[in-house]
Amino acid sequence: MGLLDASGDLSSEIEVDAFRCLFPLRFYERHLAESIWPDGSPLGRARETSIAPGAVASADGSALAKIGSTVTVDFHMPPICSPIVRPGRPAEAAPVFSKQLSDTISSSGMINLKELSLVSGKAAWMAYLDIYCLDADGALFDAALLSAIAAFSHLQIPAVSLNDDDPTAEEETIMETVVTVVLDSSSQLISLYKPGGAVLASTSAVQDCIALTRQRVRELLKILDEANSSMEVD
Amino acid sequence: MAGRPGTNQTSYSPSLKTQKGRPPIFKDGDTDWVRPDGRGFHQCRPAFIRTGAVNAASGSAYAEFGNTKVIVSVFGPRESKKAMMYSDIGRLNCNVSYTTFATPVRSQGSDHKEFSSMLHKALEGAVILETFPKTTVDVFALVLESGGSDLPVVISCASLALADAGILMYDLVASVSLSCLGKNLVIDPILEEESYQDGSLMVTFMPSRYEVTQLTVTGEWSTPKINEGMQLCLDACSKLAKIMRSCLKEATTTSQE
Repeated sequence: MGLLDASGDLSSEIEVDAFRCLFPLRFYERHLAESIWPDGSPLGRARETSIAPGAVASADGSALAKIGSTVTVDFHMPPICSPIVRPGRPAEAAPVFSKQLSDTISSSGMINLKELSLVSGKAAWMAYLDIYCLDADGALFDAALLSAIAAFSHLQIPAVSLNDDDPTAEEETIMETVVTVVLDSSSQLISLYKPGGAVLASTSAVQDCIALTRQRVRELLKILDEANSSMEVD
Repeated sequence: MAGRPGTNQTSYSPSLKTQKGRPPIFKDGDTDWVRPDGRGFHQCRPAFIRTGAVNAASGSAYAEFGNTKVIVSVFGPRESKKAMMYSDIGRLNCNVSYTTFATPVRSQGSDHKEFSSMLHKALEGAVILETFPKTTVDVFALVLESGGSDLPVVISCASLALADAGILMYDLVASVSLSCLGKNLVIDPILEEESYQDGSLMVTFMPSRYEVTQLTVTGEWSTPKINEGMQLCLDACSKLAKIMRSCLKEATTTSQE
């Protein structure tokens, strides 16, 4: 369990768990001082990522509309994903992510809306993108954007990648602020989002985030390619 | 529900002739008819079930029966809402919802109130509510893809999720539905078969105790047909419960390693 547990017997493990619950900030600070996460992995590494395209067979519906081609993005957080979401009381974060995703997708230009048009000025397709969070363990925007791209990936669009160091839900509760960096596959900056918070983001911090994102772009492009090529083989 | 024509001259019943004729997918006496997915009439779909699908939940399960894909999370026992009155037995709160892409045509994807209520009735006979007084256990189900027999799959998956969460139950609950298509009884129907059915029978069963927690019948059934249908369903439920039990055992042995 990182650096705190030396002897490994049951009593010291209980102390570590209690310490983690009672003093979460100090627990993380002691690990970060040694540049590792509590599970022992180094700070630059993100969590294991995988994509499985084509999981739902019924999901290729689209609608004909006379109002021009649009892409409607909806991010849903059903009650199964987290103990804080109740039926009838939707998560506050859901519409925020919907808007963030919608803005990222349109500003990155990854979808050519002209391709969705059928008869110019009269009829066009409307694409509905519905993303359901099944298990909320932090870094929701990252996972949502990745799944959105994988879903669109058969349309030959440039991949969009995002922030480094995915935090877990536990870590997000003690975070003071977050910086989200979105780059496209040629490392052009698509968006930079820092939603206020008690802490300022210095120039060097932002540059570090961008550098980590560039590295993550390379990792994710590789994963996407592998997923796509295995789909074609099937 | 089909009415009986000509029983009583002063009462009204829908005339069978005025009902819109749907071309049946088989002929009445046709025994050579094959199901769209090639199964036998009394053959259920292969079941893929896993527990521990959602880390954020106390217990969870994922089930895939052909094209019907369901994920269930259980939270609790946790504090009941402050507005609730004191209760010396526990409360079970169930909710079933569909994703917008679960059906072939995109839908609004809201809560399915009828299924939520039926899920509650199916489970409450099996859960030992006395073991968690004053608190609530929440069971949330999300249907990712609707491929027929949605509610039975939701119920079986919910029972597995409750077991994964460590909620005490009298027995695992397995559920199976049966469609009546003309003279044939077809078990574990897919969406297409359900749309042509003349009647349906859904059984939720605790095999070790040989007790039925819920029975739903729609359409017109003769007594021998119901008996045959029940027997088929009970057999299928017993087999399904065995698969669920082995899935739980596998999950515990892998976690011990």
